[in-house]
Amino acid sequence: MKTNDNSRRAFLAAGVLGGLAVAGCKSNPFTQDVSQDVKPSGKLVKLLSVDGEIIEVDEAFLKPVPDLPPVSNDIARVGIDGKKFVMVIDLSRCKSVKKCQSACDHMHHIHPGQNWIKVYPMQDAEHTAPYWQPTTCMHCDEPPCVKVCPVDATFKRKDGIVLIDSDRCVGCRFCMAACPYSTRVFNWEDPGLDKTIADQPYSCESSVPQKKGTVGKCDFCPDMVRQGELPHCVSACPNGVFFFGDMLEDAVTNGAETFRFSELIRDKAGYRLMEDLGTKPSVYYLPPVNRNFPYESIEQEGEDKSHH
Amino acid sequence: MEKVARQHIIEDLLPQKFGKQGRLWVASLIILCLIGLFAYIRQLSKGLVVTSMRDYVSWGIYISNFVFFVAISLVGSLITAVLRLSDVNWSTPLTRIAEIIAVSAITFAGLIIVVDMGRPDRFYNLFIHGRLQSPIVWDVIVITTYLIISCLLLYFPLLPDLKIMMEFKEKSNTFLLKIYRFMGNYWKNKPEQFRISEKAINILSITIIPVAFSIHTVTSWLFATTYRPGWDSTNFGAYFISGAFLVGAGGVVVAMYVFRTHYKLEKYIKDEHFDKMGKVLVMLALLYLYFNVNEFLVPAFKMKKPEKEHLIDLFTGEFAPIFWFAILTSMILPIIILLFKKGRKPKAAFVAGILVVIGSWFKRYIIVTPTLLHPFLPMRDVPANYRHYYPSWEEWAIAIGSLAGALLVITIFARIFPIIPIHETITETEEHENTHSL
Amino acid sequence: MKIHIHYRFLLILLMMVSYVVHAQDAEKNTLLLGLKYNNHNNQEQYLHAQVKSKINGKFQMIEGIKLKCYISDETVDANLIGQAITNGKGEATILIPASVQDVWKSSPSQTFIITSGKTIEYDASRSDLTITKAKIKIDTAEGRIINANILALVDSVWTPVKDADMFVGVKRLGGNLNVNETETYPIDSLGAVAAEFKLEAIPGDKNGNIVLIAGVYENDSYGTVTAEMSVPWGEKTVYVSNYDERSLFARRGKSPLWLELMAYSIVAGVWGVLIYLIIQIRKIIKLGVE
Repeated sequence: MKTNDNSRRAFLAAGVLGGLAVAGCKSNPFTQDVSQDVKPSGKLVKLLSVDGEIIEVDEAFLKPVPDLPPVSNDIARVGIDGKKFVMVIDLSRCKSVKKCQSACDHMHHIHPGQNWIKVYPMQDAEHTAPYWQPTTCMHCDEPPCVKVCPVDATFKRKDGIVLIDSDRCVGCRFCMAACPYSTRVFNWEDPGLDKTIADQPYSCESSVPQKKGTVGKCDFCPDMVRQGELPHCVSACPNGVFFFGDMLEDAVTNGAETFRFSELIRDKAGYRLMEDLGTKPSVYYLPPVNRNFPYESIEQEGEDKSHH
Repeated sequence: MEKVARQHIIEDLLPQKFGKQGRLWVASLIILCLIGLFAYIRQLSKGLVVTSMRDYVSWGIYISNFVFFVAISLVGSLITAVLRLSDVNWSTPLTRIAEIIAVSAITFAGLIIVVDMGRPDRFYNLFIHGRLQSPIVWDVIVITTYLIISCLLLYFPLLPDLKIMMEFKEKSNTFLLKIYRFMGNYWKNKPEQFRISEKAINILSITIIPVAFSIHTVTSWLFATTYRPGWDSTNFGAYFISGAFLVGAGGVVVAMYVFRTHYKLEKYIKDEHFDKMGKVLVMLALLYLYFNVNEFLVPAFKMKKPEKEHLIDLFTGEFAPIFWFAILTSMILPIIILLFKKGRKPKAAFVAGILVVIGSWFKRYIIVTPTLLHPFLPMRDVPANYRHYYPSWEEWAIAIGSLAGALLVITIFARIFPIIPIHETITETEEHENTHSL
Repeated sequence: MKIHIHYRFLLILLMMVSYVVHAQDAEKNTLLLGLKYNNHNNQEQYLHAQVKSKINGKFQMIEGIKLKCYISDETVDANLIGQAITNGKGEATILIPASVQDVWKSSPSQTFIITSGKTIEYDASRSDLTITKAKIKIDTAEGRIINANILALVDSVWTPVKDADMFVGVKRLGGNLNVNETETYPIDSLGAVAAEFKLEAIPGDKNGNIVLIAGVYENDSYGTVTAEMSVPWGEKTVYVSNYDERSLFARRGKSPLWLELMAYSIVAGVWGVLIYLIIQIRKIIKLGVE
């Protein structure tokens, strides 16, 4: 009797955690979830409900997601099924605080001095307004970098993310020449990681650890998405500049605010960078109108002023 | 009479031992190669950080050196194939010079690409994971093919000469004889053998032309398939091919002069050859100049925003000295020298050839680097030394070492094999005399 | 000379010693521990801890801090909920395990205590959080109305809560979308809210299902309490990615047919010639051997 009861509860819990309401609903609860292709691990965890009952939940369905081992290279190359990731960057909110950059550098253990996220001071013409433009990898739908990779080391996934397999990259740097957004960086020397990090097996989804002689770039943090969390830059930005979401859900969020993607792009006249090149980026920009902050120039060492 | 002439030609053309000058030359080339090797070992242990390449200038003089090697290797197809097929007989003494330049240059082009790789230990990935969509894979395929065709084109005409050299044991040593025997012991001067060999050479001469065009067109596509200002050009294939023929022909003129003076080959590499090669060089320089005008005048007329910064930098900015130096030395000056009959005398032509080769090397540098310093988005959030590119000593050492290596291969080849085809020279002299006596 | 070296050595030693002493004297940074309680679907409960410290006048999230979490009383070992080490963002989550069932049942409100031990860089630190048990019920009514109410445990009776703001929305990746213009709803006298579902053509899964979510977020008394429910109010979404199509940016073996045709025919043509020539060399060799 007891075991029976337990298994019923476990089933219920698993269903609930996957997104099922307790009140009678017959539909499959897993289909909307990020981890929809997650198979039960068979390892049950005993938890306590608010009523003080003991429930058993399969580890794979736990939320918050426990530190599961990174997905295999084969799965990482295909991507998360039924998702199409998109980012919206609201230029009217950016004042170049660069928390996005430091969080990204920190979480991906990037070689000091190099950055996957760059914040550009932009001024399109002499009499036009200057503004800050953060760039991540554009995760183009027709990525020029992937076109030229000779060994499938950089690849486009089902969910729209472009990733790098640092265990396969031969370091020819053709992708860097091909990318018009200057988003790729190269590990010219050993990235100087702690031994505990350097000894981890490389995961395409977390892009850790970076390896000498290979290319690195923004990965849209699919490892975070698998855990139901937002990319590091999105959660780190104090001004809510970055919005991330699933195009197929028609929603983007910066953690605090969530908008319908189509409405946001329509109402604020969103656009993509260098549309004329035909790369079809997955990153959209909202123009710097009605700004939250005035533009203040920040000079950098060695910068040639004529460039902007 | 005929016998005497034959004996004479053979004695003149058999490979000669290195003299004092020769030994000094070989020694200095070996030293340069060793310095390059040392620099490469440093690069292997520390990574590409020993170069001055960084995230913006991600390709530097390794790649421009690669393009230079591929370019100069095209001469094999020009001299041996284009001229042979158009029944130009005077080029016969030059064919082997051209072919060995081609083989050695394309070999070092392949090596320098491995040097440029961040992970040379994963070179095999190109074969087990190769993607047909990538122009790099196309390049690997065509360069391998071209190397094999060039080797065959070097090998077939060598067969009768190997027999001659085996006959003249006293001019050789046991080691060299071993090589000759290994390579051509089966050649018995049978008419059937000649027939097959000649047919094979003809087939090769035809095959090498499209393959040669491919290697350099595909190399140009490594740049032209990107969006970058300065590379994004439909002109690039033809621009590269014409430049390649120019530098190749320049290289042959230089080699002609060196071999002629060093081995006393005035009877075989005549003033007439310099005169004719001089004319070919002028034609090629004019052709390359034409493509240069196309390449720069058209975008300069429009001055699109991304192109503008790049072009201004070339015409009057940071790269202007190298840009104009390259244009002047690879095209303008050689044209001026070689347009005069006196300029086509051996010594003057040699100077023009040297100018072409040096100018062309810098021209490749100008094609690769300035473009990378003008990305679409401004350079930002990088250390200050990422914003410029001045090649490091390791890069120079490796680049110079590879050039020395290519010269060393040519030198050693000339020590082992006759640099002017003996058998072909004999038959042509005989034919020449026959037609005269008729 | 030798003495000189000794002096220098001593000097360095002295400097090292003084540095170590100095470092020990220097004030250690204080860790600030933040603790949040989450109750998801009235079933799964977890604590979310955040560790930061003021270093050089700036708050920084601290990675690699060992945390111990207790319920009610940290001196009782049986009350240990779990241990965790903070991640790169200075965060850690700890699920409330079955082992503390008795303590949990003992009172309608509970106190959670989080502690960090003394380390080389930081002093020991402690923080606690007291919550009242609460749960949310979510249901739908005719005309696409979402009803939700929140109940708190008062003297072992689940009683409607009246002093909280509730959010009602559609669950999306990383965040929740409002179902109409209203951000959050004040709770009426019965502890309930009613929200009209006004989202038009919102994509659901391939069967048109969407997940509704109602919740009270970071409430002083109840923490974060949420409940979910799946309803077929969305558009059916079937996504066909171009992943398997042949293209220039597809993976190995998926190049466009025109490219494969061109490349392979050229390679076959040229290498056919080369193989033919190598056969010719064999012929010449045969003639020579005869």
